[in-house]
Amino acid sequence: MFDKILIANRGEIALRIERACKELGIATVAVHSTADADAMHVRLADESVCIGAPPAKDSYLNIPQIVSACEITGADAVHPGYGFLAENARFAEILEEHQLTFIGPSAEHVRLMGNKIEAKDTAKKLGLPLVPGSDGPITDLKQARKIAKDIGYPVLVKAAAGGGGRGMKVANVEDELEPALATARIEAKTAFGDDTVYLEKYLVHPRHIEIQVLGDGLGNAIHLGERDCSLQRRHQKLWEEALSPALNDSERAGIGETVANAVRKLRYRGVGTVEFLYEGGEFYFIEMNTRLQVEHTVTEMITGIDLVIEQIRIASGAPLTLAQEDIRFNGHAIECRINAEDPRTFRPSPGTITHFHPPGGLGVRVDSGAYAGYTIPPYYDSLIGKLIVHARTRNECLMRLKRALGEFVVDGIETTIPLFKNLIAQPDIADGQYDIHWLETYLARS
Amino acid sequence: MTEPSGSPDKDLIRELAKLLDETGLTEIEIEVEGRKVRVARNVTVSASAAAGAFPAEVAAPRIHGERGAGEELHHPGTVVSPMVGTAYRAPAPGAPPFVEVGNKVSAGQTILIIEAMKTMNHIPAPHGGTVLAVLVDDGQPVEYAEPLAVIEKG
Repeated sequence: MFDKILIANRGEIALRIERACKELGIATVAVHSTADADAMHVRLADESVCIGAPPAKDSYLNIPQIVSACEITGADAVHPGYGFLAENARFAEILEEHQLTFIGPSAEHVRLMGNKIEAKDTAKKLGLPLVPGSDGPITDLKQARKIAKDIGYPVLVKAAAGGGGRGMKVANVEDELEPALATARIEAKTAFGDDTVYLEKYLVHPRHIEIQVLGDGLGNAIHLGERDCSLQRRHQKLWEEALSPALNDSERAGIGETVANAVRKLRYRGVGTVEFLYEGGEFYFIEMNTRLQVEHTVTEMITGIDLVIEQIRIASGAPLTLAQEDIRFNGHAIECRINAEDPRTFRPSPGTITHFHPPGGLGVRVDSGAYAGYTIPPYYDSLIGKLIVHARTRNECLMRLKRALGEFVVDGIETTIPLFKNLIAQPDIADGQYDIHWLETYLARS
Repeated sequence: MTEPSGSPDKDLIRELAKLLDETGLTEIEIEVEGRKVRVARNVTVSASAAAGAFPAEVAAPRIHGERGAGEELHHPGTVVSPMVGTAYRAPAPGAPPFVEVGNKVSAGQTILIIEAMKTMNHIPAPHGGTVLAVLVDDGQPVEYAEPLAVIEKG
């Protein structure tokens, strides 16, 4: 097992990882930019190192500084969290060259799944169901037209190197294909420096359902059920729940086993998430995230398994000790992402939190680095915390969530809390009747 | 405190104490014409000391914006570390240090080396002047923006 882990991240996830390390008896090193000197992840770590100026490229993305921080503190492993360097294969390799362990999958798997076209090829070989589309990059308009006609409109143009919704455009009819291609290419070039795009069938009313997996790199792997992350705005998840209100037990076991098998064949190491669109009883592979996800918490609540602890154990070389039959799903869990954003316009709202009162009580978990007096720096993403609620049934869970949202006080800045209070009152939410477009439609209406 | 022969220069000490307050430094040592004077004060500022404290108590009024890991420094001659690494005061073990307190340095002259990722990075004086303080020990780990030395311009 590791003696000291450096956490190459900030905010709630850095704190989340520190908690797992402490329960394993592992010393922690926080790294931070000059803007985060007062952050909770810095205060609660055993040691901290300031690694650079506020812009992420100078600090949280600055590989030489992070490696140097490992050297001066004697850390033997790095946990990348999510975002920043979590899916940077080069980072994983550099750490290895410095005899440091990257707490995550092999660099090869990170790279493979980071390229959407290669990821799809691999998924296909591993037996995962795919959305019909171009089997490779789009080279010209004529080819795009033919493929679009074959798979049927509407179609989606996507950037090969994309993520976070950038470089994605829908063409509902053939006339819209050419401008969609052009726009997606420009966005992709700007955001990722690579204008390679591909085409796929655009599903009209899909849900976003993802399967949590855990593998040990030795050929053992299990799934921990699904999360329904359909409530999104501009491809950013806001509300996630486990299990999905849309799946029955046999669908769950079916897709779960398909995914676990794929991960076994891949000899994947660590935690991972295989994302699908789900429509009309069919699953369509979107991508695999080779890291811990923001919403891993809902899976933890219903399985009772600490995913970060498992992730660290596996990274240290231990084999998987959990078998598929050990995984039981108890009750229901919902996570709401508390962002420092205006709940109507979603404009970021950095500033100082004057009053902070997180909710409590049975089945209520708040993962957050916020506190009264904390100033949210404008340099990073707006997530300031996650409210996770667990109960025996989905109905109880919704009542508990309503109660917890009512207790939650964050003054001095705008947050997404009022949005969730409104969502709770919607019959479609209560009934679990929503798809990936539901939230945007609701927001446009209200 | 090292007492030089003869009576201590009270004005100098007073001036240094004032400088200590202005700069937020915890220690200043100078050597002029063989006379060494060091003023220091006790402070408890360290990252690990803050850990474990209840956040609301330590979250009292704070300075906005950028801040290094150490204390605030306002002395215009402060040289801060541009990187994380290990500071060395001399070009080789046992060799004389690049600079000592009281030395005159010119802009661009190496004052320290910081080893980061097996690379020796020379830290140049950003401006010419007199070395008022060297704030790191040989072999000491340093953070980004950590104060390394104070060089009085001139």
